[in-house]
Amino acid sequence: MKEIVTIQLGGFANFVGSHFWNFQDELLGLAEDPHADPVYKNKSLDMDVFYRAGETQQGILTYTPRLVSIDYQGSLGSLSSCGSLYNEVQSDSPHVVTWSGSVSRQASEPRTKNLFLQSLYEEQETPSVLGNGIKKKNDDCRSEIEDKDIVESLENSVQFWTDFSKVHYHPRSLYELNGLWVDAQEFDNYGIGRDVFSDGLRGEEMNEQLRFFVEECDHIQGIQVIVDDSGGFSSLASDFLENIADDYTNTPVLLYSARGPGSYMKNTSQKESISRALHDAISFSRLSAFCNLIVPIGLPFLSQSKVSNFLRIEDSKPYHCSAVYAAALHSMSLPFRMEQLGPNEILDVSGVVDFNGVIQMLAGQARQNMVATLDVAMPAPPLTGEQKKQSLQESLHSLTPEVAEDVEDMYAVEHLTIHGALRSGTNRATISEVQDSVYAAAQNSLTLPRFSHLSVAQCPLPIPLPFPSIMGNLVGQHGEILGSPVSGSRRGSLDVHSIPMAARLRSSNAILPFIEKRSVNLHRFGINRGARGSELLRSWGFGKDDLEDMGEGYSKMIKTLDPHSLVSSDSE
Amino acid sequence: MSLRVLNPNAEVLNKSAALHMNINAAKGLQDVLKTNLGPKGTIKMLVGGAGDIKLTKDGNTLLKEMQIQNPTAIMIARTAVAQDDTSGDGTTSTVLFIGELMKQSERYIDEGMHPRVLVDGFDIAKRATLQFLEKFKTPVVMGDEPDKEILKMVARTTVRTKLYEALADQLTDILVNAVLCIRKPNEPIDLFMVEIMHMRHKFDVDTRLVEGLVLDHGSRHPDMKRRAENCYILTCNVSLEYEKSEVNAGFFYSNAEQREAMVAAERRQVDERIKRIIELKNKVCSGDDKNFVVINQKGIDPPSLDLLARAGIIALRRAKRRNMERLVLACGGEAVNSVDDLTPDCLGWAGLVYEHVLGEEKYTFVENVKNPHSCTILIKGPNDHTIAQIKDAVRDGLRAVKNTIEDEAVVLGAGAFEVAARQYLINEVKKTVQGRAQLGVEAFADALLVVPKTLAENSGLDTQDVIIGLTGEHDKGNIVGLSQHTGEPIDPHMEGIFDNYSVKRQIINSGPVISSQLLLVDEVIRAGRNMRKPT
Repeated sequence: MKEIVTIQLGGFANFVGSHFWNFQDELLGLAEDPHADPVYKNKSLDMDVFYRAGETQQGILTYTPRLVSIDYQGSLGSLSSCGSLYNEVQSDSPHVVTWSGSVSRQASEPRTKNLFLQSLYEEQETPSVLGNGIKKKNDDCRSEIEDKDIVESLENSVQFWTDFSKVHYHPRSLYELNGLWVDAQEFDNYGIGRDVFSDGLRGEEMNEQLRFFVEECDHIQGIQVIVDDSGGFSSLASDFLENIADDYTNTPVLLYSARGPGSYMKNTSQKESISRALHDAISFSRLSAFCNLIVPIGLPFLSQSKVSNFLRIEDSKPYHCSAVYAAALHSMSLPFRMEQLGPNEILDVSGVVDFNGVIQMLAGQARQNMVATLDVAMPAPPLTGEQKKQSLQESLHSLTPEVAEDVEDMYAVEHLTIHGALRSGTNRATISEVQDSVYAAAQNSLTLPRFSHLSVAQCPLPIPLPFPSIMGNLVGQHGEILGSPVSGSRRGSLDVHSIPMAARLRSSNAILPFIEKRSVNLHRFGINRGARGSELLRSWGFGKDDLEDMGEGYSKMIKTLDPHSLVSSDSE
Repeated sequence: MSLRVLNPNAEVLNKSAALHMNINAAKGLQDVLKTNLGPKGTIKMLVGGAGDIKLTKDGNTLLKEMQIQNPTAIMIARTAVAQDDTSGDGTTSTVLFIGELMKQSERYIDEGMHPRVLVDGFDIAKRATLQFLEKFKTPVVMGDEPDKEILKMVARTTVRTKLYEALADQLTDILVNAVLCIRKPNEPIDLFMVEIMHMRHKFDVDTRLVEGLVLDHGSRHPDMKRRAENCYILTCNVSLEYEKSEVNAGFFYSNAEQREAMVAAERRQVDERIKRIIELKNKVCSGDDKNFVVINQKGIDPPSLDLLARAGIIALRRAKRRNMERLVLACGGEAVNSVDDLTPDCLGWAGLVYEHVLGEEKYTFVENVKNPHSCTILIKGPNDHTIAQIKDAVRDGLRAVKNTIEDEAVVLGAGAFEVAARQYLINEVKKTVQGRAQLGVEAFADALLVVPKTLAENSGLDTQDVIIGLTGEHDKGNIVGLSQHTGEPIDPHMEGIFDNYSVKRQIINSGPVISSQLLLVDEVIRAGRNMRKPT
């Protein structure tokens, strides 16, 4: 078994993470549920890769994510920073043992738990429930109504990522940045987060949180990092990643730099847009310096993108958008935990590849391009049948912003994961059917990537109860694409129980516009003589030399992708 | 008002409104922190929205926990927090002093005095007070054997303001011994060499000093000993796990045998390293009752653990980076980065190594070391918030001891310095000042009294009585502080109440600077979009 430790940094990253862990929790629950679809019972996905077994001081066994989540103070909402498992029994007015003098108690108003969290806690009271993620389908009428209320209340009231999380976290997983309050101050550019890591004991504490999880890994395969790179968190992350690269030299790091819907909406003044452009340039350059593969995700208008062909998303809700990114991340993470079984077992997975394998594949080939794009088909189209309107390749759409479409790239490398694919209607396709269909499509296609790796699993993406209602009315109960729309405009976890997914990491020159834009902005506002942003950059702590190094880094990246490019650091 | 022309939406506060905004903010902050001060202050229990508890009597912690929005208050809070960063204590006093300076100034300004004149007075008074502090301080000769008693008194004064007396007194010894343990002649003291470790276990009074090191992890192999005596310690930073070759190497193989061969080659390299370590072990521990412990900063995978366990070696992986340094200081030897140059000289020594398990948490104690230069303060407590509070107190206490050694001086506490300095300013300095700046000196002098006044108030005494008693006694030529119990003047020297010289100096330095800036503000402009309130 090879473990993966996950790090989530910043507001939107934690939203994505929260959905991601909900999927894992749902899988765990369904595997134990006797009434669940047998497809979830396969033994070939090893959850220990992402989870750790532990024990509280009272001797109760626990199973929690290998996760370090870092966020503002107060961002945990109604969740205690010690998580929900390891709490000592606390009386209401604890006696202060360290002070004999007077005590003044200042309590902030307790955060009320929303309907969903309340129902979770009630469920916990009844000890018979084994898995914590069993969704009660076909239950009596009463609870069905309740579920409807829960879904509705989540739609309207999600404020923190903990509001819709059904996972138990280890106390070492939750780290709040002391003194950095949610909403209290602006934290929207690289410069503001500059000293956050080194302030006081913070950096050391963050390293400690991570070390706790890494120390217990017998053989860590990699560290998966999700960063909200829309503001100060990216500089916190780059400092943290620098430390990680130092401490765990040969451990591969896969970085998703995610961006929430809000971050694109406020460019008003020219000054702000310069600051924004420079932030993007610096943040990307710094983050890519300390990881092995970086995948930028986060579209400015997810609801209008092609990804949302079958989805109904409200761009203003991080709760909605993050669910799509989380689903894609979940798909990409499946191959990491597939287990190679003996030859006479029934195959329900294929295409095992580990962290290092994926990174080598995408970033380590001849071209050494370490920026990958993430494409997703949600839900994945059926392999055959009359509903088949698009081929799989056509239905994959990018979650990475600012990419070129329809590029022909002879050197493209891709890693495709398909899971839970349907043959037609609601019939699940076998592994070999999926493989055959992908190969057939590849044979017919005009532009072939230089190298393509395919991972297939039978188990679809389970839709947990707190998943937002973002499915369009063409999506059926098992994620099949319906011929005619059903009533209701949005379908959520009560109507759709699982969906087939396809996701692809791709290293190709489609990412060129993304890199070029940052490179140009860096030169225009930061490096060129009389650049309007140089003052600002100085206040962020970047001297001329640093900027020129970054500029060179960009030209190198561009050159690897486009050898004929004329852009270089001195061609202004 | 030209701004109005440029930006009609800008909010402008005029001179007196701006001034009063600043003064009120300073007073408000003072009110919040006032009850904290001294050994009779109030401890604050902060309960968060999710029921998390935080206990604190430390101004610094409290300021960080408050979501301060007022810009003036933020400025003051930053100054106070900076105070803590540089000298480790005195946050509350700084806030109180700034608040009091503003309060005293308000009186004069309301009578029509210009802030500029007051500020000039502050400046004169500040310089005079700093000179007076030089005369007033009690020099302490450190030399090779520092006077333990005086260090203890300083530590006790600090810690007693944070923890109840019995615990504070217990910690005092721990703190002083810890700092003396890591102190090296002619080198600055690096407090990081004192590890602070905690266990949620037993009671606060079980907190103790471990001469040696406590690590928060244990060996990861069931056959390794849980307790060993007479141990050689190998501190190393060597990868003992099989890993794919360098991340960027990009290796290719065309068939399964080739792949197997590569894996085997990799494995052999790791095994080779393990073999070197085992050879060294066999060399130094041949046939007697000695043991061998490997503490590695990098990973050790199960096959390697197996080999080590079979050789009777205890191995810990992924040690903290800083513990590499601490281990060498505690046990001797040196940290090695490669197994190529292993010699018995690299090894450290510990009389006892044992593991303690609490639920899923493991602790490894490395104790009975010879001549340690690093040590661990092991904090115990029944719950997290108690532990956190003791930890804060320990950090402050360590700083206080360190400051004393580096300052080579202490200042009499319990308000003695403030009373003496005030009398000096009023009786001597004021007369030498020309004109209205005198009033600034007077305001400064009175503001100094905020410390004894607040101490009295927190003890439930009458502030007027106390101040009159103190000044009266002082004018008789005695140096006096305030007794928290009776309100009578006492001699702080007899009671053993001493404060840090550098902390006092810092307070006197930074307080007037920030107050002067705030007093000289004549317009507050709020222009531009307020990001907090989306329109």
